[in-house]
Amino acid sequence: MRFIAITSCALMLGAGAPAFAQATLATVQERGMLNCQVGLPTPGFYALADDGTWSGIDVDMCRAVSAAIFGDPDMVEYQSVTSAVRFTSLANSESDMLSRTTTWTAVRDTQLGLDFTAVNFYDGQGFLVPADSGITSALELDGATICVLTGTTTELNLADYFRANGMSFTPVTNENVNVLVETYLGGGCDAYTNDKSGLAARRSAFPDPSAHIILPETVSKEPLGPVVRQGDDAWANLVRWVIYGMMNAEELGVTSENVAEMTASADPNIARLLGTEGNIGEGLGLSADFMVNVLTAVGNYGEVYERHIGVNTPIGIPRDGTLNALWTEGGIMYAPPFR
Amino acid sequence: MTIVFQPKPSRPAPSNVVGPAAWLRQNLFKDIPNTLMTILGLYIAVTVVGWVLNWAVFNAVWDADNRRECLDMVGRSGACWPGVAKWLPNMIYGLYPKDQVWRINLGFLALIVWMIPLWMGGVKSKVAIGLSAVLLYPFLASYFFLGGSKGVVWSALIALGLSGFVWVWATAICERVTGLSVGEWIGRRFAGATEDVKQKRVRQIAALLLFLVCYGVVSQWSLPGVRTQLWGGLFLTLVISGIGITFSLPAGILLALGRRSNMPVISLLSTLFIELFRSVPLITILFMFNTMLPLFLPEGTSVNQLVRAIVAVCLFAAAYMAEVIRGGLQAIPKGQYEAAASLGLGYWQTTTQVIMPQALKIMIPTIVGNFIGLFKDTTLVSIIGLFDLMNMARAVGEDSDWLGLFIEPFFVVSLIYFVFCFAMSSYSIGLERKLSAGRDR
Repeated sequence: MRFIAITSCALMLGAGAPAFAQATLATVQERGMLNCQVGLPTPGFYALADDGTWSGIDVDMCRAVSAAIFGDPDMVEYQSVTSAVRFTSLANSESDMLSRTTTWTAVRDTQLGLDFTAVNFYDGQGFLVPADSGITSALELDGATICVLTGTTTELNLADYFRANGMSFTPVTNENVNVLVETYLGGGCDAYTNDKSGLAARRSAFPDPSAHIILPETVSKEPLGPVVRQGDDAWANLVRWVIYGMMNAEELGVTSENVAEMTASADPNIARLLGTEGNIGEGLGLSADFMVNVLTAVGNYGEVYERHIGVNTPIGIPRDGTLNALWTEGGIMYAPPFR
Repeated sequence: MTIVFQPKPSRPAPSNVVGPAAWLRQNLFKDIPNTLMTILGLYIAVTVVGWVLNWAVFNAVWDADNRRECLDMVGRSGACWPGVAKWLPNMIYGLYPKDQVWRINLGFLALIVWMIPLWMGGVKSKVAIGLSAVLLYPFLASYFFLGGSKGVVWSALIALGLSGFVWVWATAICERVTGLSVGEWIGRRFAGATEDVKQKRVRQIAALLLFLVCYGVVSQWSLPGVRTQLWGGLFLTLVISGIGITFSLPAGILLALGRRSNMPVISLLSTLFIELFRSVPLITILFMFNTMLPLFLPEGTSVNQLVRAIVAVCLFAAAYMAEVIRGGLQAIPKGQYEAAASLGLGYWQTTTQVIMPQALKIMIPTIVGNFIGLFKDTTLVSIIGLFDLMNMARAVGEDSDWLGLFIEPFFVVSLIYFVFCFAMSSYSIGLERKLSAGRDR
C-alpha cells in the first residue's frame, strides 16, 4: 500500500511538474531548433507549399521567435498535428509553442495547463450562403441545414447562437473542410459556417465566388494566438514580447526594409525597441537587438498580415476598419509599450 | 472388294450452341429477366465509365498555373490535373529534400535487386537470401533514407547490410553457374576439394575480407542527414506498412504458438498480449503511443514520432496475425501431430517441418488479406500528424494555389492504393496456385 502511494506520488510529480523541468529557452537553445506546432495545412495561416516550405501568419510567429533566439528565422521544426492532439503534444513537451489559430477561452487557459501569450488575429464565426437564396441575415436561417466542422468551438457556437435566438437547425458535420465545402457547393446544406477568415479563403476558390455571400453577423469571438505550456513564465514572456514587439514596430513605422536605418533613429521608442537604448532583451534572456533580427527576417505585424492574408493575397481578408487594424487606425491591435 | 466403313465427317455443332453468338445468348440473354439484367448492367457500366472518362480525360485540364484557371476553363465538369502533377513528387516522397530523392529510389531498387534471386531458377539458398533481405537489408536502407553521421557500430551494421547484398548476388550467380554455394566454390578453388578444415578457414577469411572491403566502401559514403519529420507520401506509407508486414508474420507465428503452448506462463502472456491489442482500435493504440508514451518516459528522453507509430502498427498487426495463424493451426488434423510424434520428431521439428508448411499454405489468402488491410490501415497515421500518402493528398487542396482541389488527389491516391493492393492479391493467388498444385491434380 505504501509502495503504491509512493509510486503514484512519484508519477504525479513526474507528470505534472513542468516547474522542475529545464527552462524551455535553455532547452531550445541546447537543441538548436524551435519545435513549433502548427495544424494541418491551412492557407494563409500555416500553408504548406509544394516545395515543402511552410508559410503563413501563424508560421511567421514561429519564425519570429526563432529569429529572436537564434538570429535566424529558419531554425524551426514545424510539427503539423491534428487539432485533436494539439494540447497533449504541447503538454508532453514535444512542442515548445503552438501557433495555429487556437481560440483563447477561459477553460483552455485555466484548465488545460496552457498559457495564451498574445492575440495575433481576431476572428469571428460567420455564415456563407448562396447569394440567390435571398438570405441576408443569419436570423433568417431558422430551420436551415448547416455544414459545420466537428470537434471545434465552431460547432458549439453554432448551437449556442441558434438556441439563444430560438431557432432550429440541422447540422451536417464532417472533420474535413473540403468535404464540407463540396457538400455545400453540391447543395447538401443551406449555409456553411466557419471562422470568417476561413469562409473568405474558401470562397476565393469557388467556381463563382460572387455567387456566395458572407452574412454580416459575427456569432462568436475568436481571439487567435500562440500558446505555450503553463509553468514557464519566462518562455511565455519571450513569445508574448516578440509578438508585441512586431506590433510596436508597425506602430512606430519600423519595417523589414528600413530597420537598418532605424537603428540610428533618435526616437527613444524606436531606440528601445531595437535595443540601441536600454536592454529589454536581457529580461527575456535574449540579446539587446533581438527585435532587429525579428524585423529583418520577418517584418512587423502589418507586413506579416499583408503578406499572407491581406487584400493582395488569394485569401484577401481586408484589414482596414476591422478588429485587426492597429488601435491607432480603429482596430484593437494594441500592444503594451516597449519600455 | 471390301467395303470399308467410312463414317461421314461429323457435322459442326449447331450454331445456336457454339460460337460467340451462342455464348452471348446462353450467358447474357437466356430469358427475359436475364436480358433485362444484362441491359441494366451494361447501362450502368457505360454511364459510370463514361462519366469518369469525361471527367478525368476528355473534359480535364492538363495545363494551368492554379485552380482558378482550371475553374475558368471547365468549371467543375473536368478534373484539374496540373495541381496533382505539381504535388505528385510530394505525394510520393513527402517533404524529403528533392535533391536527395535518388536515395529513396536507390533504396527501393536495392530491395528489388536483392529479391530477384528468389525468383531465379537454379538458386538453392533461397531461404538464406530471403532471411538476409529481412535481417540485413534494413541496415542498408535506413542509412540511405536517414543519412547523417555514422559511428563505428553503425558503420559496421551498414557494412553488414552491404556485404549481405554482395553475398546474395555472389551466391545467386555461383549457384546458377556452378551449382555450388559461393562458400563451397571459394573453398574448393583455393583449398582443394578434400581438405575440410582448410576450406572452412578459407571461407571465413573470404567472409571477413568481404566485410572489411564493404566497411571501407561504407566509410567513404557520406550522405546528408534527413530528419524523419520530412519523410512522407507513398514512401512513408511503404516504410510503415513494409516494416509492419515483415514484423507481423514472424511475431504472429510466435504469438500463435505461444498461445497454443502447454506452458501456462507463455500461453497466458501471449493470450494477454493478443487480446489486449486486438480489443483496442488501431487509432487508440496510435494515440496512446504518440501522446501518452512521452508522459511516462523520463524527462529528456524522446522517442522519434515515426518510430512510435511503427512500433504501434507492428504490435497491432502482430496480434491480428497471431489469431489468423492460430486459425490455420487449428485446421491441421490431430493425426498430423501424432504422425510426426510417431516418427520421433520433437516440438520444433514437428512445427517447422510438418505443421507450419501445411498451415501457412491454407492461410495464404487470409494472411495476404491481413497484409492488404494493414497497408490500408497505415492511413490512420495521418491523424497523429505523419504526412503519409493520404495526408499529403489532403495537403494539395490546402495549397493556396490549388485551394479546394481534393477530388483529383484522392482519385490518384485511390489508383495508387489499388495498384499496390491488387498486386499483392494477384501475387497471393499465384502463390496459392503454385503451392496447391499437388492437391488439385
